[in-house]
Amino acid sequence: MSETVETECRRLPEGNCPLSTLGVGCCGKVVSVDGDLELRRRLLEMGLCGGVTIECVRRAPLGDPIEFRVRGYLLSLRGEHARQVTVNPAV
Amino acid sequence: MSKTSSYQFPVSGQPTSAGPRLRRIALAGNPNSGKTTLFNALTGLRQKVANYPGVTVDKKTGRCKLPGVSPTGGIGGSGGGQAEWVEIIDLPGTYSLVSRSPDETVACEVLRGLREDTPPPDVVVVVVDASNLSRNLYLVSQVMELGLPMVVALTMTDVAERRGLRVMGEKLEARLGVPVVGLVGHKGTGIDRLKFRLTEARVAPLPELPLPGVFRDEIHLLGGVLTAVLGHGPGGSPDRHLATAERLLIGDSSSDLRPLHARPEILQNLADAKTRLATAGIEPVQADVEAHYRWIDAVSSEVTAAKIVPVDVTVSAGPTRRPAAAKTFTDKLDRILIDKVWGLVIFAAVMGLLFVSIFSLATPLMDATEGAVGWVGGLVAGLLPEGPVRDLWQDGIAAGVGAVLVFVPQIAILFGFLAILEDSGYLARAAFLMDRLLAKLGLSGKSFIPLLSSFACAIPGIMAARTIESPRQRFATIFVAPFMSCSARLPVYTLLIGTFFAAWGSFVQAGVMLCLYVLGIVAAAATAWVMKWWGGKDISGGFVLELPTYKLPQISQVARQMWSNTTQFITKAGTVIVCLSIVLWALMYYPRLPDDRAESVSLNAKITRIHSTGVTVTPEKLPTFLESDAGRTLRTAVDSAGRQAIAGEQLRHSLAGRFGHLIEPAIRPLGYDWKMGVGLVGAFAAREIFVSTLGIVYSVGNADDDTTPLRDAMLADRSADGSHVWTIPVAASLLVFFVIAMQCISTLAIVRRETGTWRWPIVMLLYMNGLAYLAALITYQILSKVMS
Repeated sequence: MSETVETECRRLPEGNCPLSTLGVGCCGKVVSVDGDLELRRRLLEMGLCGGVTIECVRRAPLGDPIEFRVRGYLLSLRGEHARQVTVNPAV
Repeated sequence: MSKTSSYQFPVSGQPTSAGPRLRRIALAGNPNSGKTTLFNALTGLRQKVANYPGVTVDKKTGRCKLPGVSPTGGIGGSGGGQAEWVEIIDLPGTYSLVSRSPDETVACEVLRGLREDTPPPDVVVVVVDASNLSRNLYLVSQVMELGLPMVVALTMTDVAERRGLRVMGEKLEARLGVPVVGLVGHKGTGIDRLKFRLTEARVAPLPELPLPGVFRDEIHLLGGVLTAVLGHGPGGSPDRHLATAERLLIGDSSSDLRPLHARPEILQNLADAKTRLATAGIEPVQADVEAHYRWIDAVSSEVTAAKIVPVDVTVSAGPTRRPAAAKTFTDKLDRILIDKVWGLVIFAAVMGLLFVSIFSLATPLMDATEGAVGWVGGLVAGLLPEGPVRDLWQDGIAAGVGAVLVFVPQIAILFGFLAILEDSGYLARAAFLMDRLLAKLGLSGKSFIPLLSSFACAIPGIMAARTIESPRQRFATIFVAPFMSCSARLPVYTLLIGTFFAAWGSFVQAGVMLCLYVLGIVAAAATAWVMKWWGGKDISGGFVLELPTYKLPQISQVARQMWSNTTQFITKAGTVIVCLSIVLWALMYYPRLPDDRAESVSLNAKITRIHSTGVTVTPEKLPTFLESDAGRTLRTAVDSAGRQAIAGEQLRHSLAGRFGHLIEPAIRPLGYDWKMGVGLVGAFAAREIFVSTLGIVYSVGNADDDTTPLRDAMLADRSADGSHVWTIPVAASLLVFFVIAMQCISTLAIVRRETGTWRWPIVMLLYMNGLAYLAALITYQILSKVMS
């Protein structure tokens, strides 16, 4: 599964975009978490909820996974899972 | 069977009479929160590791002496209270009591008293990482909802302070309604205070979560239904029913809720409630978690003071607009360690160091162990009378024990290294770097080190797979680890490559060796990929990994982990290995060669040996010849030839030998004869035995030290029709077989231990050996056609 490294946020309706497209160094507010129940619950419980600010810190040298900073700690997520999180990028 | 009757439900906020009844304390907390450090500080050396029956999760318990409590409630030994021992159980690190990894399930079940093997604790100590307050408070809020007496242990306050945040313990205590004790882990400060305050553990008031009104209404509605259906029995206060109703609505699948799902009235009302919520646009899980975090944010902002407010500090309370990235030590180190270029370079260096130390550091220790075992074995053998008992001891028991102990240096070093990597925080970074490669095969970034270690020995590699949270990824890692060509295969590779590829020079030989390693990796990758494809979508929550703050590993903690893992290996795998070594010994030892046969074989060998020097001796003249000057110089060689001949004949005569003959038709298509068959029987216990077994079969004595006589014998061996027994296609086929086949009882024993059942080792055995058979078959058939 090849992934192009996206540096531009692809805009969804209402100006939101998937977390996986958040550029390195950019931040956004978490809008929603979709996808299957187990992963959803895990991500929500790790703090990705309620409009919290999440920052994309870096991508791994091989492109995946992606490191985020949220609620003061560092979280690593695979791109396919980050895609399930919708964020509103900070201008 | 619900065990809620084991709870008491005093009016919340009141201290329980937990003093004299304090017997069991549970430690809960996020991973990397300093929980294990606390556990070690409380229990010292009085720890033991067991297993929760039914799951492969370690159960860590220990004992601790608490100071006495005087009748008046004062603290201290002089008050007249008795200091007493309590049992402390270190629950697996969890982020939540609801999400379903095996670790979290166990922690949840223990706290709810649902495990028959573990009674519920009297007090829960929740370890909270002050530098990570929000996420840690999530678990705290869930424990508060359990209604158990609790104490909060606040750790890593120094890390938080370095980031410019001060968490005020007293305010947290006032806000939560339970004792809060500050600890600084590596200094041990606060431990005594914690021990005192355990007696003040309180059931916390239920956190007032700002749930959406509609959701709250549904909870009350369902709570009412539960009260009506279940009544007010033990554990049946309205409060508890509300909590239960909420759990039902968010889809908590704990075993204690199952009886409720069986009641149709409850089920119906639950379904209706969910429908109504859906119509109102409320998703229960999201609403529930968000309400928790709103509460957490409020608490957090009350109890945290930013010491200074530099521009580059991250304030974790509330979803405010963030300032620039924090320049903590961890961030600075990460800039190098997971940098695009330097990250990989350093990673390769660290892995190289790991690999090298397992091989070269371990080798002198392994030799020393082998020597020591041999020495002790010989010592005891000297005390035993000649005969089966002595042979059983020497070649069965001592050899088996030796086979186990010889692994210990490698395993200990590997676990020491792993403990350092994990405690320092680098392990998560290594997984981060490697995940992309391994994810495609259905493995995890954390699979890298187990697989790398398996190049030395699969056993510590498989044990190291415990760090992988996802059960599927962990299982796949365990299943493919033995394909990595381990060091036990090296003697076989060296013998065969050296014998048959010598003509092409050392460069080609190295190339062939490399091909064998690559073949193993390819087989592993293909197997993992097939497992991924077969298993369908992995819904276990994927690869969600926290990258913890870097910290200096504590020597005592590292040593403790090394000790624990190594002793586990020795006891669990060791017993299996020794038993099977004895069985194998018996297969090669019985039935015994009749004495007259032994005599004649020995005689022939001796005469042949003498004949090789140019002297011809008849059997009758042999004793006199050996007395002569010429004979005396040859005596050791002659005796040795005789003994080796007997050993070889004994082996051929034994069950193992007969088995080799028996399977010969089956292994003919691979190019093997019965002698190789016998070798393979021996190799089933441990691969390196192949060489020494072949040595015995060919009657060339101890082939481990010097393989030249064996090589010569192999090359000279001809079958009945005069053709060579050993040819290049045969050698190639045998090499391919050894790359792929599962030939290690020790590995099977460990897989049994790590997966909890004999099913998977058996599947592994059949699959790998079946695949090996096919691959060797194809290799031989193609090569022999091509090269003839």
